[in-house]
Amino acid sequence: MKHTQLGEFEELVLLIIGSLGDNAYSISIKEELKNHTQRNPSIGALHSAFNRLEKKGFLDSYEGGATNKRGGRSKRFYKLTTLGRKALDQSYELRASLYHTLPKLGLSND
Amino acid sequence: MTDQKNIGPPRWADRFLEWYCHSKHLDILRGDLYELYDDRLENGSSKFKADIFFCLEVFTLCRPFAFKKLNNENSNTIAMWRNYFKITYRNLFRQKVYSFLNLSGLAIGLACSILIFLYVSDELSYDRFHEKSDRIYRVLEHFESEGNGEHSASLPFPTGPTLQQEYPDQIAQQVRLFNFQSPTLALANKLSEKAFNESQVFFADSTFLKVFDFELLVGNPETALDDPNTILITAGMAKKYFPGEDPVGKFLELQGTQNLEVVGVFRDPPKNTHFQFDFIVSFSSLKQWYGGGYPKNWYWNPCWTYIVLNENVNPEHVEANFPAFVEKFFPDFIVDDVDLELQPLTDIHLHSKLDYEITANSNIQSVYIFAAIAFFVLIIAAINFINLSTARATKRAKEVGVRKSLGSSKPQLVNQYMLESVFMTLLAMVFALIIVALSLPYFNGLTDKSIGFDFLLQPYIVLGLLGVALVVGLLSGFYPAFVLSNFNTILVLKNAHLKTSGLTFRKVLVTLQFAVSVSLIIGTIVAINQLQHLQNKDVGFDQDNILMIPVIRSPMGAHYETFKSTALQSPHVKSMTAVEEIVGAKHQVSNYRFEEMEKSKPFAHINLRHDFTKTFEIPMVAGRDYDMTIQTDDSLAIVVNETLVKSMGWGTPEEAIGKRFYYRNQLKGRVVGVVKDYNVVSKHQPISPFILKLNTRPRAFNLFIKYVAVKVDNNIEASIADLNSAWSSVLPNMPFDYFFLDDRLNDSYRSEQQLSSVTVIFSGLTILVACLGLFGLATFSVEQRTKEIGVRKVLGISSPQLLVLLSKEFLTLILIAFVIAIPFSYLLTQNWLNGFSYRIDLEVWPYLVAGFMTFLVAFLTVSYHSVKASTINPVDTLKCE
Repeated sequence: MKHTQLGEFEELVLLIIGSLGDNAYSISIKEELKNHTQRNPSIGALHSAFNRLEKKGFLDSYEGGATNKRGGRSKRFYKLTTLGRKALDQSYELRASLYHTLPKLGLSND
Repeated sequence: MTDQKNIGPPRWADRFLEWYCHSKHLDILRGDLYELYDDRLENGSSKFKADIFFCLEVFTLCRPFAFKKLNNENSNTIAMWRNYFKITYRNLFRQKVYSFLNLSGLAIGLACSILIFLYVSDELSYDRFHEKSDRIYRVLEHFESEGNGEHSASLPFPTGPTLQQEYPDQIAQQVRLFNFQSPTLALANKLSEKAFNESQVFFADSTFLKVFDFELLVGNPETALDDPNTILITAGMAKKYFPGEDPVGKFLELQGTQNLEVVGVFRDPPKNTHFQFDFIVSFSSLKQWYGGGYPKNWYWNPCWTYIVLNENVNPEHVEANFPAFVEKFFPDFIVDDVDLELQPLTDIHLHSKLDYEITANSNIQSVYIFAAIAFFVLIIAAINFINLSTARATKRAKEVGVRKSLGSSKPQLVNQYMLESVFMTLLAMVFALIIVALSLPYFNGLTDKSIGFDFLLQPYIVLGLLGVALVVGLLSGFYPAFVLSNFNTILVLKNAHLKTSGLTFRKVLVTLQFAVSVSLIIGTIVAINQLQHLQNKDVGFDQDNILMIPVIRSPMGAHYETFKSTALQSPHVKSMTAVEEIVGAKHQVSNYRFEEMEKSKPFAHINLRHDFTKTFEIPMVAGRDYDMTIQTDDSLAIVVNETLVKSMGWGTPEEAIGKRFYYRNQLKGRVVGVVKDYNVVSKHQPISPFILKLNTRPRAFNLFIKYVAVKVDNNIEASIADLNSAWSSVLPNMPFDYFFLDDRLNDSYRSEQQLSSVTVIFSGLTILVACLGLFGLATFSVEQRTKEIGVRKVLGISSPQLLVLLSKEFLTLILIAFVIAIPFSYLLTQNWLNGFSYRIDLEVWPYLVAGFMTFLVAFLTVSYHSVKASTINPVDTLKCE
């Protein structure tokens, strides 16, 4: 199981890449992260996460979509691999099953 | 979109990205950054802000995944480094002579530089250890009219406190030091009968410990000097006066009259202060000497006065108040002639050359000269290193060829030889430190310092030394490394004749080396000559066999005539007088008014008793000397020197006789005599107008008469014994103390003495180092030419011819060096000599001597090889091919 372990930030990145579908590249991912979590990761942190996830086999990438803004340089789009999807599922299930074991109304001082 | 430069993100950041980023990622990352940059601009950010973010992002991308792979690193790097060390080691021992010359030259050079660095940093450290040192200033008094007068380091008694009262928002504290202007004061521990004349006793205001940071081992620094009749002593003095006891609470007797209670003990103060003290007496103890208060006189200026400015107070603003201050407080007759000035505490040691300094200061010029010498020695040593390494390079051509053909790249070869050179300099540095450790005591003796070796162990100095070794190593390794790595592989391996590459370069360096050495030798000869010129006894008075006996504040005033007549009964005592200051070293200044003058002006003068001109053998040019039989000489007669006559425009000395002067504002006295000019102070200064003032009042011994001067015959021991018995017949309870005038006068030239002895040693060393280099080069040159020599010998060359053949090349270089050195050293020595009032003229012979010496030494160095070469059997050198 060890190699499928996901960090919190990695998990978020994976989820967003999944949800963005065909338009998942660094800048759009950065925007989405900012919208959903109010945090603004540096572009360096993102790329290094992509790189790690790609090495672990959770992500696939292809180049394309050059724009004028980028000075004619292509973007690198990312796609979830089956392995990546599986890792997300596993992590979701783990969380859900643990969550259900929480006692109801555990917040005693309410 | 016309100018890309001004629109796009910062170019340097973009380039930086390109530099570190792996090509695999570069395009994508760059695209991202540009897109973000554009987005920001569209969202209304300023260009500046967008630029900043761009740069930040470039830096956040500095992550391992993005870096270029360092592809020339591979697993055998470590092995290669080990190999480099091994080769270095083998080379070191295979060519022992070279290695020795190389290392010892560099080690000597480094050691000299380190020693001089120690000296210079010690000189620069003076008075900097006080926490407030940047705010402490000494107040100076310029008291001058038409070039006559004094530049005094000390001030009238009331100045310090009055300044503080007048300008409390600028001046935080003041402290005065005072010592009766006396060269020594007598202190005694009555209980154990220990009595000495001490020269480092000061009275100081109670703020002494608040201004200066001297550490008290015992005693309360807040209150230590508050009470009258208290004294603080140093740990060293505690041992001297109270061995094995606790000094606190004990008493010391000052000048046989005042009992002072010891209330604290100083840790022995550091040597790097502009004044050294052994005893500090509370200022209020002085009151009993001046009728219950402090002198209120604004004319007499005996107190060294220091003030601490409040933080952020500009000293110029304080000085701006001084004219008004002088106007308000100083007496009318001198107001126009007095200027006060502030002198930063930290400038005193190197920049101050005033009248009445507490002790003679050093001067910044010597520091510069020493630093320049250190720099030259280091350069010569580094040049040696370069020369010998390049010369040796050809020997290692084969090694380079083999390395290259086995795939060594040029950068690797450069690395190897740089590494070797750095390694050698580090080794030399170790030897240099050993030399320094061994020679430091002698160096300290020579320069009168007490620098410890542990000074070098401070972290930043260790780093500095490593840095120097690294820089010298890299600089001197640079050239050989590139020469070596540029060898043509095939030529080298085919054993083709290698052109001795870099020969011109080496010649230039050798020439430079010798030019510097010759200049240093010339400088040394000039410095020694100048010193001799200063020290020669041609000062206009006799300084041999003159004993000076300090008598200030002793009861001698009442007994002087008895003492004199008793002493003169001895056949060994020729003549006796009493004087205010050490004749030929120091004088005081006082106001005088002669008949043509509107008002009085300051003149240099000295108080004295009868027989002054007789004792010091100063001839009278006109008129008469003070006469014992004429009672009124004390007030109505005056004796002046020739320069005064000239400066007053009185014509001949004979015409000066009879000129009137004012005594107590009444036109009463007359000039009765004119003495021949003599040097009233050291030869650093020209002879000034000077007045010899007879002062026969017994009370003068409290201030105006400090020494009895005695001319004795050559039987010094008997004379001293006779004087001692004469002394104890009148003053049985006072210690008899004396010194010789000529010794003391020589002390005036101590800084020149130091300078010349240091230059002698160091210029000697530079020549030695330069010759080591020359020797190495000659060795190499002979080795290169063994075959040629063999062939020439077969064809019948004679030994002298061989000598000429081999030395011609080097001696030409030295000749060129000599020619370069002449104008260079001329300018330097001329400049130095201009600082003296009495100076030698530059002559030709020092140049010739220096040139000849260098030539001779170089010739001997080279001829060693010629002689060796002439004994070679040609068969040996020619048989193998």
